[in-house]
Amino acid sequence: MFLNQLSKKIAFACLGLAGMASIVSCSSDDDGTPSEETIRIPAEGMDYAVSVAIQGSEGDFTYYTFPADNLMEGTLTAEGQGIEQPGYYDFTQIDQTIYSIGGLDDNNVVGISKNSEEYLVQTGDVSYQNSLSDMVKADNNTLVSVTMDAASDIITFRTFNSNSLTALSSKEVEVAQLTEVTDAGLSYSGMAVSGTHLFLSYYKSNPDTYATAYTDQAEVAVFSYPELEFQKVITDDRVGPIGGFNIKDGLTKDNQGNIYAVSHSNPANGYSQSAKPAGILKINNGETEFDEDYYFDIEEVSEGYNVLHLHYLNNGKMFAEVNVQDRTAQETWSDGPLRSVILDLNSQTLNYINGIPQHSNGGRRLPLIQEGNNVYFTVSGENGIYIYRANTQTYEAVQGAKIEANFTAGLFKI
Amino acid sequence: MLKFSKNSLIIIVLFLGTLITTQAQNKLASIAGKVNSEKGELLEGVNITLKGEFLGTTSNEKGKFVLQKIKPGKHTVQISFLGFESQELEINLVPGERFEINFQLKEAPYRINEVQLSGKSAIRQINEQAYAVTSVSAQEFYNSTSDAKQILDRIPGVRILQEGGLGSNLDFSLNGFSGDQVKFFLNGIPMDNFGSSFNLGSIPVNSIERIDVYKGVVPVWLGTDALGGAVNIITNQKNDFLDASYSIGSFNTHRASVNGAYTHENGFTVRGNINYNYSDNDYSVFVDIKDELGNIEEEDVEVNRFHDRYRSLTANVETGWIDKSFADQLLFGVIASGDDNQRQNGATMAHPYGGVVTESRSIIPTLKYKKQNLFWEGFDVSLNSALNLTETKNIDTLTGVRFNWYGQPLETGSQTDAELGTASLVTMDDREFTTQLNSGYLFNDQHSLALNYSYQNFHRNNNDELNPDKPENKFPNTLKKNILGLSYKLDVNQKWSTTLFGKSYFLNVETSKEYDSDNQNRRIASFESNQENFGYGVATSYFIFPQLQVKASFEHTYRLPTATELLGNGFDINSNVNLQPEESDNYNLGFIYNQDWQEKHSFKFEGNFIYRNAENLIYNSVQGITSTKINLDKARALGAEGSINYSWKEFFQLGINMTYQDITDQADKIYDSYSGYQENFNKGERIPNTPYLFGAAKAGLRFKNVGLENSLLNLNYTYNYVEEFYFSWQRFGNRDGKSVIPQQTSHDLELVYSFGSGKYNIGLECRNFTDNLLYDKFRLQKPGRAFFLKFRYSINH
Repeated sequence: MFLNQLSKKIAFACLGLAGMASIVSCSSDDDGTPSEETIRIPAEGMDYAVSVAIQGSEGDFTYYTFPADNLMEGTLTAEGQGIEQPGYYDFTQIDQTIYSIGGLDDNNVVGISKNSEEYLVQTGDVSYQNSLSDMVKADNNTLVSVTMDAASDIITFRTFNSNSLTALSSKEVEVAQLTEVTDAGLSYSGMAVSGTHLFLSYYKSNPDTYATAYTDQAEVAVFSYPELEFQKVITDDRVGPIGGFNIKDGLTKDNQGNIYAVSHSNPANGYSQSAKPAGILKINNGETEFDEDYYFDIEEVSEGYNVLHLHYLNNGKMFAEVNVQDRTAQETWSDGPLRSVILDLNSQTLNYINGIPQHSNGGRRLPLIQEGNNVYFTVSGENGIYIYRANTQTYEAVQGAKIEANFTAGLFKI
Repeated sequence: MLKFSKNSLIIIVLFLGTLITTQAQNKLASIAGKVNSEKGELLEGVNITLKGEFLGTTSNEKGKFVLQKIKPGKHTVQISFLGFESQELEINLVPGERFEINFQLKEAPYRINEVQLSGKSAIRQINEQAYAVTSVSAQEFYNSTSDAKQILDRIPGVRILQEGGLGSNLDFSLNGFSGDQVKFFLNGIPMDNFGSSFNLGSIPVNSIERIDVYKGVVPVWLGTDALGGAVNIITNQKNDFLDASYSIGSFNTHRASVNGAYTHENGFTVRGNINYNYSDNDYSVFVDIKDELGNIEEEDVEVNRFHDRYRSLTANVETGWIDKSFADQLLFGVIASGDDNQRQNGATMAHPYGGVVTESRSIIPTLKYKKQNLFWEGFDVSLNSALNLTETKNIDTLTGVRFNWYGQPLETGSQTDAELGTASLVTMDDREFTTQLNSGYLFNDQHSLALNYSYQNFHRNNNDELNPDKPENKFPNTLKKNILGLSYKLDVNQKWSTTLFGKSYFLNVETSKEYDSDNQNRRIASFESNQENFGYGVATSYFIFPQLQVKASFEHTYRLPTATELLGNGFDINSNVNLQPEESDNYNLGFIYNQDWQEKHSFKFEGNFIYRNAENLIYNSVQGITSTKINLDKARALGAEGSINYSWKEFFQLGINMTYQDITDQADKIYDSYSGYQENFNKGERIPNTPYLFGAAKAGLRFKNVGLENSLLNLNYTYNYVEEFYFSWQRFGNRDGKSVIPQQTSHDLELVYSFGSGKYNIGLECRNFTDNLLYDKFRLQKPGRAFFLKFRYSINH
């Protein structure tokens, strides 16, 4: 009798458990990470790609890279489209590939390119604990990256196969080889490879206070390439340090392999004090010293201001931004107010582009596309971010498409 | 010194005035008496209720009870207690009568743990407060290997994200609020700065009597500036007991807990607990193995975590007197605790660490005083004070190497770079004094007032042994918080109860900051900020019929900024003395339905709707290397949660709960110091990386006298469910290419055998027995299948 009751109870209970189990849905094996193959963004007939950053209200950032066919009309948005990358990224285009460098608690190097089927696809999956300060083209198959930080005792170079995006080698150089200073570290400001040499520019800052106590000369370190052996530091006291905080444009290479080095010592770009005028120096192709005969006196052509955010176009012309405030009046870390200009490095002239409001940039790479005599770039204003098209001969600009983003991280031709 | 506003002074004068001038007039009757067992033991916690009415009480430590405010006339007194047979008695009361009666209860050995649903246990009394509160008894978990975290995780609206195994970081979220927005208490003492060893995941269940979770509306007696609710953990309050347990399990996990109390007849008492936790947390995870160059060598390899050991030891001893003429309770105590915690990874699992460790040590002297009917009948006073001294160390001193997920070191060649950045050894010395004074006055059966004053004084000093010159380490912070609350409770009748309350918040923050450190203008200036805010709310509950109670509550509440948010850290966080508190309007509407049939079926249905509208949320605005906190953010939460519990006799139990919460970003603008105010493109979008639909179900079977007399065998099954959610904002990016945290399910099984009338207990638990992949935010992997065995010895006097 008792047993009978017990078995009834058990049967009832099992029924209950079975009922529960039936509402339990099957768990999927998918771990939620979209694989490389699943990321295929249709880009048929699209000549451009835009990388935008959307800021969350909690200060978080997510980046989206999406194709576009018209930069001059309508609104360019990543809504429902584009390759998503959460974290903090920096975008640079080398030949036909866009490289995104960065991540969330990680530093990935990912290549984005249009494949033969006209889809935007992603390649590569190398990553590091320390962020890469920059990555440049070394030769047709090789990229070289540098990692440096004012608080670190080493500078790390890495080389990559530019097609497969696999890391090939790594080289550590002691900071002590470059400088004897101990109360400041070296902060990255620019890198270029020309022929058999790699040039690395930097400024000295205190890793605790970010104060820049050493501003009385320009310094560029010279390494052999491809060995990446340290050779020497070249200096020039006509200007102060090359480049500034988080802009990466200290050194710019032209089509002949000459390298231009810019100095501004701006409080708006990380300098706590300055000692020298602003100007551009030159290292001629094949040489490893500053050209003593070349000096582009920027203050003279810009009414005492200085330039930064350089982008080499062609025929000795460069796109740049002028900070239109005296150093003494600049707000620290503001990277503004800026006006866009075209520089001629040969005739040493500077021409303001008309039709663009004053703006600030935010210490980021300058998104820019060149098409013949036109350059496309973005300017952030009160009503949002717009693309502007400027003519490099007439210096006139017109406003184009609106970009739905909190800032533009890249503008590319694909 | 604190300056009270006019409003607050009026509140206090009003309160004291009415206190002195009013006399408690009582024409109602009362019942008083004592309950003991057949063996003569005094029984504590016995439910004394009036059948079919809404009146009841429980007996105290001495077995005594008083049931007041009874209308004259006929009543049926019901006496029920766990493990004893229930009794009923009919009485007839005359106005003003104090009816004295003693009960002797007969043991019912087979009915251990049975919950008499008609009686009102302490838990149900808490749940029936007008506040939106969920109270969970830890008792049913005593034989399981759970901890406070697992109990809380089964409450609708609560979601605890834990980064990994035992001791790892926890993110508690209540209806979408988390971090500083939800406040934690240990027996009413704020736990904000108790140190990491007082982690929800490390407090063993056996030290806990129950946990009260206040959703959105926080009663004044907790005296705090919570934006989205509060959690009060109540430790064992019995006067004579011993409970010792030890559990061993997967990942080399060992947990020991001894809890006890001794009380002499003269009222002298000693009570306390010691808890030890240890785990290697070497559970397996699926990761990529990278070479020295950063290339992936092997994909999706299963490896064991190798640097995740957690150890903690906590002791809490209290001594003093109970039931004396000068105090119902006067206890002096000290909490001593420490832990050390290896950290295996950062916010994501991209890279493992091999040398990062955090350590904390705390010494917390406490004082508790409680007296009912002090000076006047109906005037109750209680005081809770704690001085909390905590030292926390963050150690990142291993330089020159990185690790891969095999635990192999890879050379980096640097003598300055550790795993998190520049090598550092940061020590934070915190000193905090908190005190809470509560007083209440009962005018008559309809009106009562309660006044709370709470004071918090927090001081922090940072020091980095390896980088002593970092500016943020040079300037200590001090923060003083005063909160004054007044509440008025109106019980219109026995069905309808309403509480109105107001809270004044006063904040005073001091710090110093250095200017122009790199030139001759170098100077140190001190900063001070004073703020005052006034919050208010109402909570009401109504019994539509005895089985169905509805509750509604509202609070306009504030979360005061922290010292760092207001005054910066002297370095990369700038001060913003104009920063306002975060504020929120919190609405709750809920119901509880209880129904029993034929003394066999018992059914409980609970539902709650929430609406939260939070503004002035503090937002981090970054400029270069510096950031400033500004009031910018807005969020809205709309949610529904429900639970159903069914039991058939004592044999079968089934419980299901489900939570849906739609938390959306409502900020119009975002701020970027380069571009200024910009459109917030995610306005109206659901907050990412946060679960929005989740639930759990539990089923249990109980068999009596299996093998041994006076024994019980319990079999429990638990099912957990979290719907897939997005890693980042939903609106942008290609749908197929978006990262998600996939849907997760897990199943736990538990078998508990108790014998010797509950004295000896053995529990065997298998968590996640189907070995499903489980994740936290940012796709951190959680343990797979794990086994735990627990032994427990318990005597209750």
